[in-house]
Amino acid sequence: MEALVASAIGILTAAGVYLSLRGRTFPVVLGLTFVSYAVNLFIFVAGGIRLDAPPIVGLAPSMTDPLPQALVLTAIVIGFGMSAYLVVLAIRLRAADGHDHVDREPDPDEDVAAP
Amino acid sequence: MTTTASLVWVFGLPFAGSFLPLAFARRGRTLIAWASAVGPIGALMILAGAAPSVFDGQAPSYSVPWVPALGLQFALRLDGWAWLFAALILVIGLLVILYGRYYLSADDPFGRFYALLLLFMGSMLGIAVSDNLLLLIFFWELTSLSSFLLIGYWNSRADARAGARMALAITGMGGLALLGGALVLQQMTGTLEISRLNEMGPEIRAHAWYPVALVLVLLGAFTKSAQFPFHFWLPNAMAAPTPVSAYLHSATMVKAGIFLLARLYPALSGTDEWFYAVGGAGLVTLVFGAWQATFRHDLKGLLAYSTVSHLGLITLLLGLGSPLAPVAAVFHIINHATFKASLFMAAGIIDHETGTRDMRRLGGLWTFMPVTGALALVASAAMAGVPLLNGFLSKEMLFAESLALERGGFVAWLIPMAATAAGIFGVAYSSRFVHDVFFNGPPRDIDRTPHEPPRWMRIPVEVLVVLCVLVGILPQVSVGRLLDVASRAVLGAEPPAYSLAIWHGFNVPLLMSVIALAGGVALYFLLQSRALHAHVGGALTGHALFEKLIHALDRTSGAFTRATTDGTLQRQVAVTMAVVLVAGGAPMLAGLPVWTATASTPANPIAFVGWAVLVVATIAVVAAHRARLTALILTGAVGLIVSAVFAYYSAPDLALTQLVVEVAMTLLMLLSLGHLPAATPRESVTARRARDGVLAALCGLGLGAAAWWMMTRGGDSVSVEHAARSVPEGGGTNVVNVILVDFRGFDTFGEISVLVTAALGIVALLARPSDPVPVPVAEDDADREPALVMLSRIILPPALLVSVYIFLRGHNLPGGGFIAGLVSGVALALLGLGSGQGWRHRMVRIDFHKVTAAGLVIAAATGIGAWAFGQPFMTSAHGAVHLPLIGELHLATAALFDLGVYLVVVGVIMLVLDHLSAVRRREAA
Amino acid sequence: MNHWIAAPFLLPALTACVLVFVRTVPAQRAISLLSALTLAAIAGGLCLGHGNAPARVYAMGNWPSHLGIVFVLDGLAALMLVLTGVVAVAALLYASRGWDTRSRHFHALFHVQLMGLNGAFLTGDLFNLFVCFELMLIASYALLSHGDGSARLRAGLHYVTVNLVGSAVFLIAVSLLYRVGGTLNMADLGAALANAPEADRPWIRAGGLMLLCVFLLKGAAFPLHLWQPAAYGSASAPAAMIFSVLTKVGAYAVFRVSSVVFGATAAAPHIDAVVQPLALLTLVVAALGAFSAKTLSRLVAWLALASSASVLVGVGTFSAAGAGAAFFYALPSTLALAALFLLADAIADARGAPWGDRLQRAPRMHGATALGLWYFAAAIAVSGLPPFAAFLGKALLMQGIGPSPWGWGIILGTSLLNVVALARAGSRLFWSIADVPCPGEPAAARFERLGGLALLGAGVVALTVAAGSVQEFTREAARQVAMPSGYVASVLGNRLKGWTIRIEVPEGGADR
Repeated sequence: MEALVASAIGILTAAGVYLSLRGRTFPVVLGLTFVSYAVNLFIFVAGGIRLDAPPIVGLAPSMTDPLPQALVLTAIVIGFGMSAYLVVLAIRLRAADGHDHVDREPDPDEDVAAP
Repeated sequence: MTTTASLVWVFGLPFAGSFLPLAFARRGRTLIAWASAVGPIGALMILAGAAPSVFDGQAPSYSVPWVPALGLQFALRLDGWAWLFAALILVIGLLVILYGRYYLSADDPFGRFYALLLLFMGSMLGIAVSDNLLLLIFFWELTSLSSFLLIGYWNSRADARAGARMALAITGMGGLALLGGALVLQQMTGTLEISRLNEMGPEIRAHAWYPVALVLVLLGAFTKSAQFPFHFWLPNAMAAPTPVSAYLHSATMVKAGIFLLARLYPALSGTDEWFYAVGGAGLVTLVFGAWQATFRHDLKGLLAYSTVSHLGLITLLLGLGSPLAPVAAVFHIINHATFKASLFMAAGIIDHETGTRDMRRLGGLWTFMPVTGALALVASAAMAGVPLLNGFLSKEMLFAESLALERGGFVAWLIPMAATAAGIFGVAYSSRFVHDVFFNGPPRDIDRTPHEPPRWMRIPVEVLVVLCVLVGILPQVSVGRLLDVASRAVLGAEPPAYSLAIWHGFNVPLLMSVIALAGGVALYFLLQSRALHAHVGGALTGHALFEKLIHALDRTSGAFTRATTDGTLQRQVAVTMAVVLVAGGAPMLAGLPVWTATASTPANPIAFVGWAVLVVATIAVVAAHRARLTALILTGAVGLIVSAVFAYYSAPDLALTQLVVEVAMTLLMLLSLGHLPAATPRESVTARRARDGVLAALCGLGLGAAAWWMMTRGGDSVSVEHAARSVPEGGGTNVVNVILVDFRGFDTFGEISVLVTAALGIVALLARPSDPVPVPVAEDDADREPALVMLSRIILPPALLVSVYIFLRGHNLPGGGFIAGLVSGVALALLGLGSGQGWRHRMVRIDFHKVTAAGLVIAAATGIGAWAFGQPFMTSAHGAVHLPLIGELHLATAALFDLGVYLVVVGVIMLVLDHLSAVRRREAA
Repeated sequence: MNHWIAAPFLLPALTACVLVFVRTVPAQRAISLLSALTLAAIAGGLCLGHGNAPARVYAMGNWPSHLGIVFVLDGLAALMLVLTGVVAVAALLYASRGWDTRSRHFHALFHVQLMGLNGAFLTGDLFNLFVCFELMLIASYALLSHGDGSARLRAGLHYVTVNLVGSAVFLIAVSLLYRVGGTLNMADLGAALANAPEADRPWIRAGGLMLLCVFLLKGAAFPLHLWQPAAYGSASAPAAMIFSVLTKVGAYAVFRVSSVVFGATAAAPHIDAVVQPLALLTLVVAALGAFSAKTLSRLVAWLALASSASVLVGVGTFSAAGAGAAFFYALPSTLALAALFLLADAIADARGAPWGDRLQRAPRMHGATALGLWYFAAAIAVSGLPPFAAFLGKALLMQGIGPSPWGWGIILGTSLLNVVALARAGSRLFWSIADVPCPGEPAAARFERLGGLALLGAGVVALTVAAGSVQEFTREAARQVAMPSGYVASVLGNRLKGWTIRIEVPEGGADR
């Protein structure tokens, strides 16, 4: 079971890293999303993985480590805010530059209209 | 050893006085000049007041700590050497102030000139009286800076700008080297106090680091005193107004290096390193400067190189190390200051009256300005070392010392030969200065008829020339005492017996002088007959080198910077990840414990299926990432599986949160796709893709391995205590929620602040400042998909109910403000998307800025509320209620905090979506 | 219970909330500036009041420190709070010259920035440090993209992306360390890591080095500096001013975390050894960059890199002398940097399009004399020449890292390069005049500009005069961080307090 989760995390990371190294904003955003999936799972499994042991008092005989879960929650929320900002920034940049490449200067031929 | 604070005013008064010329800047040149003289005169009085004790061989001193740990004391000491140097600075400074009044033209910024001059004077005096090496460096750098501004005074001229920058670069380098040297000396001796250092001479010279310290200090001294090969900045500094050249670049600042050598003479001198380094540099500079000077056509150029040569002479004397040499050095410092300053002023007068300094165009001026001519004649005779003038005496001493040297080998004859050669050139350029300017036929090319300068403009020259003669004829009477105390201070001991007589009988030095005089005159007229005026000056080696260096630096720095920080994001991310990979991977090379561990939980079919789906979906995203909509949907799928994983491994809160966040994020991305191209072009070459692939694989491998290790390692955690104390003290059974709103509620507070900020940032990005809060218009409600409209409106009420439910149970069961907020937020958003923003706005008239901020305020207020009970921020108040009967009250504050979270989340989602759709409309319009 | 320790975090938070409700610009300015002044005053009070007394702990939610989150006030933290406060006031003064109207919510965002900065200085919890970093970052993202221009937006995109990667690394490192130590409180974690079994060593090192990466990314140390010049060079002036504090957080975090968390572990040497060489390399890179800069703002951005690198050089010794000197140096050089960022913007306005702050011949700008004087002073102050405190700081720094040919050579050599670059820039901006009427704005000495500059200048002068006592303060503060036994004692003492109280009191800790 651990092997499955570990490999899953590895694959998510690899996908995320690869995509975030692309040259356009959209794949970069996707890539960072995958990285954050992987990282969230990673934090989560820092508390070990257990079946039927929700961290709720009196619900199950044993309880998995609740702290990493709290951390993941915080991480998810922050990640949400960050990605949202990044997406809008990408839109804004596209509107300003006329293209969505992460590096290139504005296209002179396309009409540049700020939203 | 008398202690007096009045020493501070020696440089304090000129500093303070530098404000006067600025204050009088609009009040006429004479007044400004007088105002400027106030500071120096005051300082001179203090100096005079201290004279008796100084001439008794005492050294008034004053010291207050500044940065003790650094060894930096504000330590001043006025011994004979300092007194002499300070007096020189002040007297010549006053003469220059007087001279400058008539030299500068009406449209030059007068106030600034005198202010800078006084700043420089103060810094220079600071050097003179410092008794702490670091304090000395402090003033040293100030002189470099003020010299930079003074050279660049006529900043509309390119040569002035270039000269200023060059001077700053070279002397700045020296200053930094000197700083290094000082700190090395401190490491060696544990002190920066100059008088202490001079007492510790033997230890210093015996120390292993002595050569390092010596080289660094000499770098400082040589650059400042324009010793070969650092001399070239000085001729280029001649772009400065002539009073500045006379003052900074011949009389005082360029002497600072020599002053320092003399100041540290007892500490550093007396070794072979010293002899060869100092003596060698001095000798080369002496000859090279004299030779160069002979071939200058510009009066100031000639004087500049002659200054270089004479500085070399003094350096050589200090280097020789024979007992009397330092005395000669001190003596020549006085003499050179007097005749060279007067010559510069004369050159300035000539420039002023004829409009040129080019000796090829001048000539025959004697008929027009005999007095100036006479003065220049005497001064240059002194420069040439003609008997009955001060220059003769110190040059005699040099010859004598060069012979008195007890060193075998080539140096025994090299130094006298070189000295004589330099003497010949010295006479040659001195003769040229007089002959080419005042005689040698009528003026060759002057556009006006020159005449004597204003009376007062000549006064300073006259004073200095009189001094030359006075010292030349009555040395012992005029400067005997002064020279004695100064040399005593330099040597830190009783100076050897010497006589300042004009006549020492027929001896070799006299012969050398005769050779120099005769040979020099002969050389000059020989050159004159060989078309000296046609001579084209050779390349200034040092100068050319400097320019080359700067250009090389320009090119390399530019190339390097462009090559490294070319501003491509792809490289930045790649580098960052590579570095992290190394950081995380390197420790593992020591050998991994990781594979020894074994899985504790057996795998089961469900897990396998989930794993398979996740892997396939992920690979599919990578493969199909160019088709953006597909990629987005697949990504959403992966997100759902992740949330399933959370659910499966007993993290219900995570599962719920991940689920709703996923929905919200996908919604946002869908909207954004409307503003971005639908597909990603295939751009990166195979090599790049391969590189990224490898990087990605390694990262995946690393994180996977780490995850495996963490899961198999197990181990305990403080969270056991969280769980144990969750119900009795946190008042909730859902430990995760209690951690979020109570134990680590502060994190949550920060987290929602991040969310709010993100929303505000997005608003700032999307809304132009002019725009009001976007209020959609009605037409975008037209032609909506009816089914969608119905659906979006039907969903809302149950969604809100659900969120209320989730909110309420949060503290004890999975749920809570955040999830509830996302649910209602998404429902509201769908309402907007389905039925049109206009309709939504008419139904829900809320400024979500306020909702968001209100949420944050509520959360903060809840936390701060605890202060009322004398508790720290975020203390949940249920414990503060002592009645066990109304136990449900113990939820109160936590729930209030959670309500804040709820509002924030709803507000944020609505803000973002509102503005996005507003953008969509603006683009449509 | 002294609530002032929480104030540097809460005051900006509330100010930000209030500012969202306030619509009119003058009101926003008034509130924002007032709050910043109060903040600076509180910071000063904490710094003077607490001094270098043993670290004082503020337990959020009054939980024992290992369960909840603690703020810890010690000398160094207090000092950084003051620095932040002063720069903030200057930046806001300048912002009210018109920057704050170029897009919405400037002031609110600015105060979130302060919230994050102060939190990062005060927090004693590793994960909370992450949260504060994120606060700092999200605000800086928004402030960076503040105002328009696609160059600025692109710089923003790069900055955001790279830092998101950094945040991910931070989380990974925290998880690793949590797995070993089972706790998140730094002091607690430090104790736990020290007793960790042999087998965990590589993982502790990995976690430590990855954390170091994150901090060096924030501190823009080679080779993780790539994002910095573009970001700082194209940021709006007030943002750039406060950013000059931002990079110092990296150095601060390196120092704090590696001494409190790793100080007692076998991993410490492996982490510490990396810092100084990288910092020295950064100095070289920064000097070359500054030398090749084409605009003043870019030049200053490189100097900001050099400034934080110099701080890292000192911190890299992890000794009282070295780090003390580093943080002494940090004070004047940060103030001077802020002043230069301000001047770059003011000069660009005074010269007007198309010249802006490009380092090339242009018409004589309006108010050239005043701007020139300020520029000269700020340039001296930032390049560590006399008469300003940074000169003493540089000397202290060299003394602090001990006689090392490389260290001293690089410090001296690069400062020479910077001097030359600044002199050249100054001569091109103020001396090389084209005889064309100037299109720039004829604002002679606007109050806001003057106010900001005067404040920063006064700060530098004060530091110079009081250098002796300031230096003693920073040295002692650095000593307490470098040898954190006192810090740990206070924090863990709070843990014990927690226990005893819980044990005494029946149901529901009425004492809390």
